[in-house]
Amino acid sequence: MATVRTPQQKEIRRHLWIYGALTPYIIIAIFPIYWMIITAFKQEPDLYRMDIFPLWFHMAPTFKHFTYLFVSTNYGAWLINTMSISLWVAVITLLTAVPAGYSLARLRIPGSENMGIAVFMTYLVPAIILFLPLSRVVAMLGLQDNWWALVVVYPTFTIPFCTWLLMGFFKTVPMEMEEAARVDGCGYFGALMRVVLPVSIPGMLTAVIFAFTLSMQDFLYGLAFVSAGDQKPVPVGVPTELIRGDVFFWGSLMAAALMVGLPVALLYNFFLDRFIQGITGGVGK
Amino acid sequence: MTASPSGGGSDATSAWAAAASVAVRPRGWLRSETSRRLSFGYLLLAPAVLYVLLLVGAPFLFSLYLALSDANVGDPVASFAGLENFRAALESDVFYIALRNSILFTLVAAVLKGILGTLLAFLLLQPFWGKKIVRGLVVIPFTLPIAISVLSWKWMYDSQFSVINWFLSRIGVIGSYGSPDWPIWLGQPYLALAACIIVNVWRTYPFSAIVLLAGFTSVPNEVLDAARVDGTNFFQRFRYVVVPMIAPILLIGFLFDTVFTLSDLSIVYLLTQGGPANATKILPVLAYQVGIQAGALGRGAAISLFLFPLLLPLMILLLRNLKRRDY
Repeated sequence: MATVRTPQQKEIRRHLWIYGALTPYIIIAIFPIYWMIITAFKQEPDLYRMDIFPLWFHMAPTFKHFTYLFVSTNYGAWLINTMSISLWVAVITLLTAVPAGYSLARLRIPGSENMGIAVFMTYLVPAIILFLPLSRVVAMLGLQDNWWALVVVYPTFTIPFCTWLLMGFFKTVPMEMEEAARVDGCGYFGALMRVVLPVSIPGMLTAVIFAFTLSMQDFLYGLAFVSAGDQKPVPVGVPTELIRGDVFFWGSLMAAALMVGLPVALLYNFFLDRFIQGITGGVGK
Repeated sequence: MTASPSGGGSDATSAWAAAASVAVRPRGWLRSETSRRLSFGYLLLAPAVLYVLLLVGAPFLFSLYLALSDANVGDPVASFAGLENFRAALESDVFYIALRNSILFTLVAAVLKGILGTLLAFLLLQPFWGKKIVRGLVVIPFTLPIAISVLSWKWMYDSQFSVINWFLSRIGVIGSYGSPDWPIWLGQPYLALAACIIVNVWRTYPFSAIVLLAGFTSVPNEVLDAARVDGTNFFQRFRYVVVPMIAPILLIGFLFDTVFTLSDLSIVYLLTQGGPANATKILPVLAYQVGIQAGALGRGAAISLFLFPLLLPLMILLLRNLKRRDY
């Protein structure tokens, strides 16, 4: 009986194997987040007990750590800073990367391919090489200790990445539409505004998402350029301001991390394939 | 300005040359389709190119200048110091420790995420029920903002209330708190470096897997079928069809990750600040501590520029690769 298996049984066995192999991956991937959540809602005495099972509540869950963040720290200001920075970075990125991506993809400029590659390579110049000279630039502009410094600096990586991404995107828009529009009397500008941009909204939306998520991945620039307590974005403010000396308030630290980490991770998750497509040059579909 | 690190500058000069030549051409050419298209193209390109030249190209050159000067945070007037900063770096012990740690960190992490990522990619390549959800869950480490997830790890590595130690103690690998084999993750030299590498691997193996997966799915089934008809076995197909076809994608993914790993400061800075006793000191952390915390801009710039020769061969490889691909 054990030797004869129906296709259905085979399929179930195969699934069990795959799930079994994937389980450690899933646990490793989400455990730190689970630990964040449980820590953020635990009462203080419940956090520091090693004698009892730490992965579940032994006292009633509490919102204390969350209220503490908004009442006694600059967390609210950091959230607003993060949002404002992202918004401005997205605007700057769209205004520069959309035209550049379109130009490189569609207007057959001599050397456009090399130029596209050059733009992408600038994305790979690491922040650690640029942050010291940029600190001088920031000082020159009078923006030290101000979140506007990050609005100036973040486009150094969002523009190259989004230009490259949009270049790939504009190549997929059918050429005939623009030509038809031009034959109908639109100039190049008219064809871009009336025909190309409306069909490119998904591409531009992706660019906005990346302007946001890539900004959230930064730590170095925020750490180096903004030291005023109320001017920081969340990913920089939480580790530098909420840790005082050697005292860690893990409950509120994890609450602070969770409120920003989870939404960003979810958003990024939906667009991850686009990101991979972007950096691998649209080879994988 | 034209000597941007990426070579984008020469294209920009030809852009200006083309724009200038438009002015002297006869009016007929000026009105021509081509000239209108090109001038519109350069106009659209200009803002992005200028932004990148001003805030990536110029700072890069400026960092070379800083590295050759005695620039200091307190003193805005810097004078030329020659190779003094590089000499000072090469003569300090902590520089060699940081260089060694950076290379060790990157290599060990690359091997681990290569293995973990490949296994995961093969698993995700199988058709199974609930794949979308599983994929969404396993890529979470890569999508969390890095500073945020490092905080969670710092709490898991806590010297007394580490949940990892609780688990290890429960399954009997180590004793209870206070016993000599209780690991203080961030306080013991080798463990601290391992702890930092673990966070990097945890964060980026999903990326390796997804890049590999993108590669695998880009190989058309017809090609594989054709190879199968030709009588090849699985390993031959893998070695002679799949690997050459996905090599460009893999290389880009590998390079991207290496640049990130070599130049990332946040994991080590937030976990250990380079301690204990320089055991986790890597070049980015050293550059930050010297350049910003100690205010020696020139010294810091020289240290961060030492990363460049490590990255350059990879960049050249990538450049050759990108040039060969077709869109």
